[in-house]
Amino acid sequence: MQPRQILTALGAVALLAVVPLVFDNPYTLSIIILTIFYAYLALSWNIIGGIAGQLSLGHAAYFGIGAYTSTTLFLSFGLSPWIGMLAGAALSALMAVVIGLPCFRLRGAYFALATLAATVILKVIVENSHELLGGPRGLEVRLMHDAPLYFQHTRKEFYYAIVVVMLAVALYANFAILRSRFGYYLTAIRNDQDAALALGVDSRRCKLTAAVLSAVLTSIGGTFYAQYVLFISPEKVFGANLSVQIAVVCIIGGRGTLWGPVLGAALLLPAEEVARAVTGGAPGAAMMLYGLLLMVVMRFEPNGLIAILKRVANRRTAARARVGVA
Amino acid sequence: MTSTIVQALLNGIASGAVYGLIALGLSLQFGVMKIINFAHGSFMMIAMYLALWGCQHLGLHPLAVIPLVAAALYVTGFATQRWLIEPIYRKEATREPMGVLIFTTGLWIFLDNLFLAIAGPDYQTPPGEWTNEVWMAGDLFFAYPQIAGFVVACLVTLLLVMFLRGTRIGRMIRATGQDREAASVLGIDSSAVYQTSFAIGLAVLGVAGALLLALVPVDPFIGDLYGIRAFVIVVLGGIGSIGGAFWGGILIGVVESMGSQFLPITYSEALIFAIFLGVLYFRPAGLFGLEEA
Repeated sequence: MQPRQILTALGAVALLAVVPLVFDNPYTLSIIILTIFYAYLALSWNIIGGIAGQLSLGHAAYFGIGAYTSTTLFLSFGLSPWIGMLAGAALSALMAVVIGLPCFRLRGAYFALATLAATVILKVIVENSHELLGGPRGLEVRLMHDAPLYFQHTRKEFYYAIVVVMLAVALYANFAILRSRFGYYLTAIRNDQDAALALGVDSRRCKLTAAVLSAVLTSIGGTFYAQYVLFISPEKVFGANLSVQIAVVCIIGGRGTLWGPVLGAALLLPAEEVARAVTGGAPGAAMMLYGLLLMVVMRFEPNGLIAILKRVANRRTAARARVGVA
Repeated sequence: MTSTIVQALLNGIASGAVYGLIALGLSLQFGVMKIINFAHGSFMMIAMYLALWGCQHLGLHPLAVIPLVAAALYVTGFATQRWLIEPIYRKEATREPMGVLIFTTGLWIFLDNLFLAIAGPDYQTPPGEWTNEVWMAGDLFFAYPQIAGFVVACLVTLLLVMFLRGTRIGRMIRATGQDREAASVLGIDSSAVYQTSFAIGLAVLGVAGALLLALVPVDPFIGDLYGIRAFVIVVLGGIGSIGGAFWGGILIGVVESMGSQFLPITYSEALIFAIFLGVLYFRPAGLFGLEEA
């Protein structure tokens, strides 16, 4: 890394450390945590859905596996959710292979539908497993109060610190993939799978690797959610709404880019909160906003809002260059 | 026991014909334009609400609202294709139409939640006693809406097949579906064909929605279940195949009704999706192999 990048990184860390001191109101902090959390989820989705261009509408499957694995291991065996998180991630990686192997023969819409269907099957299984997984009513995480070793704390700052680290990891993963040979393969697959195949890219292997990475990150998100909210239900963690939401945040921000998913979350989650406040918590208002924005973005700027930002920035640079020449 | 099984089988066939009809419009759009309309289930939900309001406010019989709903959905389909989908489709016509897929996903979420705001979250059924009347035949009994659903669904399927084979517009639609370039060389205006086929697809869906309202109550998210199921049926039957959609619908109807005899009710949904994944994997061209996908 160059000195300038190190400075930028240090500056970002300092800025993020100050945030909970400035916004010490729990409500504001909870929105900030949620926004960063969704940026993290969107970045996780971005690896397979954005960079590799495979529209997955089933990421709730990995989220749910992460949430249920850590919670079940904790409730049944008293195992710390930190370890349960790793177990969930391993299980999600396995599930990504199980779903991916048949689904990656399919393209576009078929892939989207297959991931959707696989998630519904998982949800139904969980809903019918009353003894172990609590059936449709879900599970409550046993309260431990201030137990950082058990991934629990009464202060929101604890979760804030964790989610910031998660975001950094997801950003680094995307950054590393985007500038690696593997990332170029994925981009080639997204742009034209047949051409990529003809050039000798093992598309199936690349997509599987991307899916596993994406699933592992999403699963860790699921464990975080369970520990943060301390309650999980099939509808919340395996629901189609969640799958769609993760994908929409990434697409609106900008698929396949490093900062697009972050931008998407930074705009959508606060907007969702505003919509909820304005409509007085009318059911569906937030999701209506998601749908509407998705349509508008696809109609006018399919590459996402980040593309608009980039254009503006380019124009500025170009203008400055012109002034410099004159 | 035997009569329970026979009853379940016949129930499955009757509702399966309606499921087939729901999938028919999707198959037509998919076959002609190669686009996926993820908002299909939401349009069906709208059709059901229109039928419900027709019964409630105009005092019409659940069967009498069918033409009105079909006409309203025809107009909706035309407008959706003309002003919403076409501008996106044109931009990416040479590639896999991923943009349309994502756009209709947005439309799906938007419409579902719009109707949640308008109509509320409750399950609603049309007023009147007709939906509860039954016809007995020995040990077997059939609800009137079941019989009507089966008869109308078969009739509409047959009409659509005749329309696509026998009329000039129908042949233009099929030609465009087979080879868009060749069709436009022959002077067929492909965007007009797309608008018409999308509109016809939704009109058929309107009929299906009105029929379904007599069988199951409507709520804003009913389209999620039946929409995904319609995709399952289209894949089972082979994309773009009208006959395939019909038989696929019957198959799903029978699986659902037989499955609920032996399994907890929620499992029959999982069973349908498991069949779907199996077919996608082993027979991507459809179970009946009528057309190459």
